[in-house]
Amino acid sequence: VAVLERFSTPAHLPEPNGAGADAWSERVEGLVGPFAQEFEQFYDPTEDDTPTDGQPPPIAWPAFPARLKSLSEDVRWKMADTDRRQQDEYCEWSVEKDGDEITRVTFTSEVPEYFEHLAERDRADGSDRLLSFYREFVDPDADPNQLLDANGRYIAENPLNTSTDGRLAHLVMGSNNLLAAIALAAQATVLRQDHGVPVTKQQALVECAKLGESLRNSDPQIAGAVNNAASTGVEISLADPIGLYIDRLLMTGMVAPDDADVTDFWHIERGEAGRALRASFSVPPERGYTVTKVKLAGRPITFGAQLAERVQIKIEPAIRPAAHHPERKPCKHQR
Amino acid sequence: MEAAPVVDESCAVFGGLPELEPQAIHRFVVGEDQAPRTLSADEAEAELGDPFATLLLLQGNFPHSAIATLKAIDQATSADDPLRQQMSFVLGEGSQLDDPELATDGLRFLVARGDGPQGPDLIVSAFAPEQEDGVELMSWDRARGGFNFYRTVGSNGAWVFAGNSRHAVLEGTEGKGPFESHASGNLLMKELKTPWINWDSPAAPIPPTIFPEGDARVQHAWFAAKELQGAITCEAAVARPSIQRWTEARFEAIVGADGAIERPARIIEQILTTPTANLVSSHIESDVVASKEVDLPVTFFVDAEGLAQFELPTPPGFTLQGALYAQSLQTFEVHLSDGRGFDQPRDTHFAFVVPERAAEDQAVLQAARESGLISDRLAASLLMTDFPNPIFSERRASLMSHVPTEATIADGVSGFSEEMANAILAAADASGEGSAEREFAERWAAGDAWREQFTPILNDYYAAVQAKLADQEAFNDYFRLAESRRKHFRKFPIGKEFKLLFSRSNVPEQDRAMQSDGTVVSQG
Repeated sequence: VAVLERFSTPAHLPEPNGAGADAWSERVEGLVGPFAQEFEQFYDPTEDDTPTDGQPPPIAWPAFPARLKSLSEDVRWKMADTDRRQQDEYCEWSVEKDGDEITRVTFTSEVPEYFEHLAERDRADGSDRLLSFYREFVDPDADPNQLLDANGRYIAENPLNTSTDGRLAHLVMGSNNLLAAIALAAQATVLRQDHGVPVTKQQALVECAKLGESLRNSDPQIAGAVNNAASTGVEISLADPIGLYIDRLLMTGMVAPDDADVTDFWHIERGEAGRALRASFSVPPERGYTVTKVKLAGRPITFGAQLAERVQIKIEPAIRPAAHHPERKPCKHQR
Repeated sequence: MEAAPVVDESCAVFGGLPELEPQAIHRFVVGEDQAPRTLSADEAEAELGDPFATLLLLQGNFPHSAIATLKAIDQATSADDPLRQQMSFVLGEGSQLDDPELATDGLRFLVARGDGPQGPDLIVSAFAPEQEDGVELMSWDRARGGFNFYRTVGSNGAWVFAGNSRHAVLEGTEGKGPFESHASGNLLMKELKTPWINWDSPAAPIPPTIFPEGDARVQHAWFAAKELQGAITCEAAVARPSIQRWTEARFEAIVGADGAIERPARIIEQILTTPTANLVSSHIESDVVASKEVDLPVTFFVDAEGLAQFELPTPPGFTLQGALYAQSLQTFEVHLSDGRGFDQPRDTHFAFVVPERAAEDQAVLQAARESGLISDRLAASLLMTDFPNPIFSERRASLMSHVPTEATIADGVSGFSEEMANAILAAADASGEGSAEREFAERWAAGDAWREQFTPILNDYYAAVQAKLADQEAFNDYFRLAESRRKHFRKFPIGKEFKLLFSRSNVPEQDRAMQSDGTVVSQG
């Protein structure tokens, strides 16, 4: 890939015009550019080329929060289902029920920055893409006053997007955003040592370099993979279109009461297979049963979190050959 | 000419076999066969209904290495055949060590083919793609159910059929050959749960940089195209579905047309005793343990998953300050050693690796309940007997002597539970004070209110444990208890085989047990 002309929208979501596409690219450039200036082995793909034959390290992790995994199943599933603040793996979900039974679980990895972009474009060109999104995917009765403050700025933590019931809109937990992911990837290019001993283990690296939260699936995984690649001297960035993606739902071991093919129950609502931004799990109405009637590993699905444990999130790094000989820097607490 | 009789009945027997004819199917089901014997075409066709046999062996195709086998499967199937779908995983007990030799020594691959709702149909385990001797293969028998277990023998990679899953639970063959490790005929993924210590996973990836320069494995698809989430996918898409699949097939098979259950004791054994175990650990890397709050696996303290089947309360999660954990490491001179010269004062990659009740035994508990063989009241009362010791409980195991020899199920109902409970109750009076029988009798006496009565007992126990975790000496006792359970695990073949599974310590070898007030007592 030659030098990127501009950053694409996540999963190449359509922009109605060039001005919108430019606006998104400028927004991403505003996130990537400063880090590329600061970190020697982190590059800006709109400034430097990304060869097609690079082998960037794959980075994927489960949507279910690692911090809760040590708890017993029912305890952790309930905790995760009932509090969006627990859902800190760049993926959040909400659950729709009919009585006690689940009818649909909706997952999103869409970053809040994109919705700020929609709100800004609406202000700029008089369109209503933000409200249209909410009415199509979240609540047909969504009101602009729920989404925008008095100055017309978007409220990411609006009532429609903070609930664990119904249909969520996008990521809202504090560190689930594009800036956090880019910052982590950039900062992780710095090799570290602890009193002369190289720091290579994931949690130790996160602690040493203060790279996010060491007890997540995502942060240590991103940090470790980027750091390991950086140790070979290459330069690293994130591949276009930069975004956090729902890669897949592992459906092996799920059994429907009528032995239907459960892969038909997974619906990608935005994005594409392998690079989805929003997806849901529900049983087609004609089958006449709920998600709870589907068994997963022998148990009925009574929590969205049971599915979240099988949802794979990914970020796509990019690398370009270079011959850096990075010097390991001391842990931040040792400075 | 058939080989001479073999005396060794362990899994190691296959390593000592003489070279065998590579263009033949050999059968060596330890316990049934005195020595490897060549199957005739009719015998092989009658016994082997798995795709490895039907697509290759029965067609006269005898691939001589792990990778040749998978290539032969590709050639024998159409492009859209699920057997063409491959998932590969990598693991190694030294994979997280900084020592480059240890990091790749013992590194091995698990390659699964087929992606049906019940899991893969064919699973290969090998150290390297080109490996010829000692390749292990499991393949689901589509005609008879259960996995057929194979392995290659000798430098020419002759294939030996070593038994079907059902041989793991049959008198005469159980515990022998491959079923020494595959105790109930299941796929073995001993580190089944997060954070899957020793496995490549997002929690602890095995990066390409651990391989020495020029190592061919790093470029091979088994590594280069391994599953992105590693062990997570292996647990969810391979191991658990395979366990579920065999458990369901096993229960379908053991309930005869007349409702008679073959060997009910073999089922109850998986509820009362510890035929095998999985390994679980904290999520905290040992390198950062001193500065963190350490989560301890709840299943170390109670059979949380078994109890959850009955909607009994499970622990809220047990944690302690890392400084206390770090002090224990010093007190007990914890070190990691491979027994061959590597010896460092450190813990395993993730802290506090301990055995827990095996997932395959949990699956049997669930199947036994769903089949109607045992009632929830009986199962809960059994598990609540010596509940602070979810594994290696001699007290609970002693109740095996009261298992009825016969059982029948009619329309999903069985008198087995009442019969077994009555047998234990009958023995309770004559048993000593504090016996397992008397404890069971107390649990059973709760009648239909068992859930209400067991709930406060468990909650009091959880509170007692969490309180003790604030105290250094109390945690030291838990550390000693963990060591005694590790000692038991090391006696399993899967515990003997891998020296780096656990760290070592100066804790004297002794049996210990947890009590319901959260204290630990020495035994014997």
